[in-house]
Amino acid sequence: MAQQPLTTASVPTDIYGGDEVSALVLDAGYCHTRAGFAGEDVPKSVLPSFYGSVAGTRNVFGDECLVPRADLEIKNYMSRAESVVEDWDAATNIWEHMLIKSLQPEREIHPSKNGLNDPDTKAAADGEGDVAMEDAAAAAAVASGEATEDQEKPLAESPLLMTEAPWNSGKAREKAIEIAMENWGTPAFWLTRTPVAAAFAAGKASALVIDVGGANTSVTAVHDGMILKRSIQKSPAGGLWLSSQIRSMWDSCEPKVDVVPTFMVESKVPVDAGAPAQAKLRKFPFDVSPSFRAYEEERLLTEFKESVVEVWKGPGKYTNPGNEELVKSQPGRIFEMPDGANQMWREQRFRVSEGMWDDAAALPTPGADPITKAQTIPELIRACLNNVDVDLRPNLLGNIVVTGGSSLLTGFNDRLNSELSAMYPGMRIKLHAAGLTTERRFGAWIGGSILASLGTFHQMWISKKEYDENGAGIIEKRCK
Amino acid sequence: MASHDVRDVLNLPADGAGARPSKKQKTSAPRPNLKGLAREVQNLGGDNPIAIVPQISSFKKRRFASRKPAAKWEMRPFHNSARDDATLILRHWRRKDDAPPAQPPPDSHDGQPADDKMAVDESSAEIEDSSFAKFNVKVHVPQYSDDQYNSSLANSDWDKDETDYLMDLVRDFDLRWELIWDRYDYQPDIIQSTEGGDLPGDDNPSSAVVAARKPRTMEELKARYYEVAAKMMAVQKPVQYMNADEFNLHKVMTSFNPAEEARRKKFAENQMSRSKEEAREEEALLVEVKRIMARQEKFNLERRELYNRLDYPHAETTQDLSAFKTSNGLQTLLQNLMTADKSKKRKSIMATADGQSTPASAGASAHPGSTPVADPKRESIAASTTASNHRDSIGAAESRPEKPTKKGAAQPAERRKLTEQEEQIYGVFTTTERLSSGPTFRYERINKILTTKSNAQHQRITNTLAELDIPGRLNMPTKDVVDQMAKLLDNIQTLLELRKISDKLDGEIKLEQAKKAEKDKLNAPAQPQPAASEQASDAQKPSETNGDAKPEAASSTTTDAAKAAAPSTDSANASAEAPHTVNGEGAAEAAEAKPKDGNAEVKKEAAEDKPRPGSSGGHKRSASVLSTVSDQSAKRQKK
Repeated sequence: MAQQPLTTASVPTDIYGGDEVSALVLDAGYCHTRAGFAGEDVPKSVLPSFYGSVAGTRNVFGDECLVPRADLEIKNYMSRAESVVEDWDAATNIWEHMLIKSLQPEREIHPSKNGLNDPDTKAAADGEGDVAMEDAAAAAAVASGEATEDQEKPLAESPLLMTEAPWNSGKAREKAIEIAMENWGTPAFWLTRTPVAAAFAAGKASALVIDVGGANTSVTAVHDGMILKRSIQKSPAGGLWLSSQIRSMWDSCEPKVDVVPTFMVESKVPVDAGAPAQAKLRKFPFDVSPSFRAYEEERLLTEFKESVVEVWKGPGKYTNPGNEELVKSQPGRIFEMPDGANQMWREQRFRVSEGMWDDAAALPTPGADPITKAQTIPELIRACLNNVDVDLRPNLLGNIVVTGGSSLLTGFNDRLNSELSAMYPGMRIKLHAAGLTTERRFGAWIGGSILASLGTFHQMWISKKEYDENGAGIIEKRCK
Repeated sequence: MASHDVRDVLNLPADGAGARPSKKQKTSAPRPNLKGLAREVQNLGGDNPIAIVPQISSFKKRRFASRKPAAKWEMRPFHNSARDDATLILRHWRRKDDAPPAQPPPDSHDGQPADDKMAVDESSAEIEDSSFAKFNVKVHVPQYSDDQYNSSLANSDWDKDETDYLMDLVRDFDLRWELIWDRYDYQPDIIQSTEGGDLPGDDNPSSAVVAARKPRTMEELKARYYEVAAKMMAVQKPVQYMNADEFNLHKVMTSFNPAEEARRKKFAENQMSRSKEEAREEEALLVEVKRIMARQEKFNLERRELYNRLDYPHAETTQDLSAFKTSNGLQTLLQNLMTADKSKKRKSIMATADGQSTPASAGASAHPGSTPVADPKRESIAASTTASNHRDSIGAAESRPEKPTKKGAAQPAERRKLTEQEEQIYGVFTTTERLSSGPTFRYERINKILTTKSNAQHQRITNTLAELDIPGRLNMPTKDVVDQMAKLLDNIQTLLELRKISDKLDGEIKLEQAKKAEKDKLNAPAQPQPAASEQASDAQKPSETNGDAKPEAASSTTTDAAKAAAPSTDSANASAEAPHTVNGEGAAEAAEAKPKDGNAEVKKEAAEDKPRPGSSGGHKRSASVLSTVSDQSAKRQKK
């Protein structure tokens, strides 16, 4: 009888300190943008931060829109080097698409204003119905003037919590609150930093957050729910960098591996391992833009990373004598390319990820700066810890939160643990890495979701009134 | 095996013979029905069958039994009074029935936000406050006016702007120093105003000024804040009126020592960067310390046991003897003594047996993870001591069945440990000396000192006390007073003794002087005294020149005297003498050894003894003793 679940009415919500106010949470990263309702454990809407720009006029969002077609350029609204918003127009568009179109219920719009009956916008509805409607609605809103402005604000019911990179600039933060308040009319807004949110997702207020993301790897110390600015360390050694390592490895392979993304393959026949591919490629009546091809190649590389690449567990470096021989004697993994070519990968799959830990082992990548010693993960951690107060260090080492999709590489945590124990021999080191893939990938979003659904958080929100009184500068004062 | 077999084995009385046939009849009835395992089970239970009640889950029934109409929920607006802008209205879902009768406006559900806001303004009294508002706590940061700053807070290293900036940061970050230090980025106003904002290119000199400003360390920030906070605290409430908490806080803040703190941090940093070997060594040392402590404990235990042994008969006999006057009383006394004796004997036997019989391996297993690198010898020693100590304590606990000791063993764990201060307040103190049983009055200690003296001495002591204007009987015999009194009496006693000696010596001196005067009259010109002093200085000289200048006069007589004195001085001289044993010159040897001892008096004595071997060595000696003693007594009197 004890196992009988509590009815919803008797669940003691109070002890968790939760108090839902139907807030929305938006977490923008270089590879993916995540949006959802606060209090849930996974974001409802996850879209790639890459978007399609059709003939330079119209933007399409979401994986289902990123198909080969004429005049489609793939762009990203975030900057690769910084993981902060670069193209604010596109960012506003994609965020609106996610927060308003995907998450809000359909609004009833008077037929005279819903755009369907407008003669001038009818031409735009050419198959991309959703987006056209969106544009049309916007156009209609502009056309109908500001008489109905208050009603048109799409997020007037939901507070919005956004995350940002810890090194985000003040201008970008002001821009974010401006969009949320002016464009969407949220009653309340808050901007939290990704490491803080990731620490919250792991249930910790103080932690050393190691975020191995798509474009960047960062190490940040969080104390009592605030980042320590001096401790922020950032390096490009993330998922995309790993992809470039794989490319470099494929290029130098014997025989050289041809990168043929899935969309190019029409049919294939099975071939033996190592044999050249026998596939029929698709022909397109238009030019596929290089950016689209690069995006598709990146997807292939991601698959390779997920299924083949592994991190040498340690102890010691992978390049230490004997390790490579040991790996060669172990069973490898077979990876089949979209065009049917397949091969067994043994020592190479350890080799590509070694550069994250040991700059000397990084493969040379043409057209990019080689990784420096200070950019390897152990050095990032050391530099981060050296910039915080000595009293905090033991506590931080005992509360290390590992997050980010690239940290899901097999053996990553083992290696991290062995590197740390070698660096800080006398200390107690404890890694906290979520076991679920989603929790690792969406760590910052989940933390934001927890934060925005807390009862004690209500006093933190920047309200519309405060924004109106103080202007966008309030974000610097409040979200420290 | 049936239950009566079990009873048989356990030597339990079988159920009454009369009852058996009837029970058999009862049990024989259902028996034939059971087969296989069921019968075995039945046999196991015997007369008391095992209750096996099949549990019927009422799962499905329950589910449908408690069906009620679905609870009604509503989206209810609320505000949070902890906010700076308390007008923000958020909404959350709440059960409809647990709401206060004041119903929120029904149109607020479908109304537009603008209408909603107006409605909210009207009915803002009705809107509930968030239940989380109470968790909003803020730190108290000292406030000061300009005047107050100038009068008490001025500091050469800090100007007011920077202090204000620090206080703001402290408030913003709720006294979390790590964050304050991390975000501390004070830009002096002058530079900002001269720069005028955004001309980063051409303001090299001023930016150089900014760069030259040395960053504050956390200790500096803390020191300044505590200084300000402590001073403002004292300004608001003078130190003497503070209550204990406030005073403690004030004391903590004023006694903050940044240098010390910085040193501690540096130490901590070194601690962090130590290698595995160092850490292991440190651990080994800690284990060693633990070992030593354990040994100490063992000694204490043994000592206590010894005391107990000495104590036991006393405790009985000092009490009322009438209890033992009857044969019955004597019997109980005997039994008591026997049990006590037995337990003690058993315990000591157990202790020794365990200590000897447990080999090092047993101890090693008790300390499996102690020190993998420690040398085995040390390990075994430690192991045996810890092991025996361990057993010993267990044996002690087991083998004392008497109530009082058990109670005593159990109580200390529960008793609250008083701090030193509290102990003083409550007059609790622990003695190291052995107490006799039963309560005693403190002043009896004083009486005891007095009564043990002879009558004349007693009289003299009381006279001295009267002289000092101290009553013989203490009015308020607190511990301190009694201690002091005891000390005083002690001192008085020594004083009296010394006075007695000095009186006696005075008399002797007078006598000798009279004798001397008489002698002088007899042979006025012949004076042996200067020769003696000369000899003394001669005897001292060799000590500096390491004994090759041998005084001619001191050839034979000095040797004897010095040799006689040497062994009596100090055995420690032996080492000093050792290298010179070959030369065999007694005078040099003695003269060399003695000054090292620092005992110049004895040497002088020896030198003085020589010219007048026959006259009065004893007298001279006593004179020198007298001088030292009189010095001491003078000191005492000063005290």
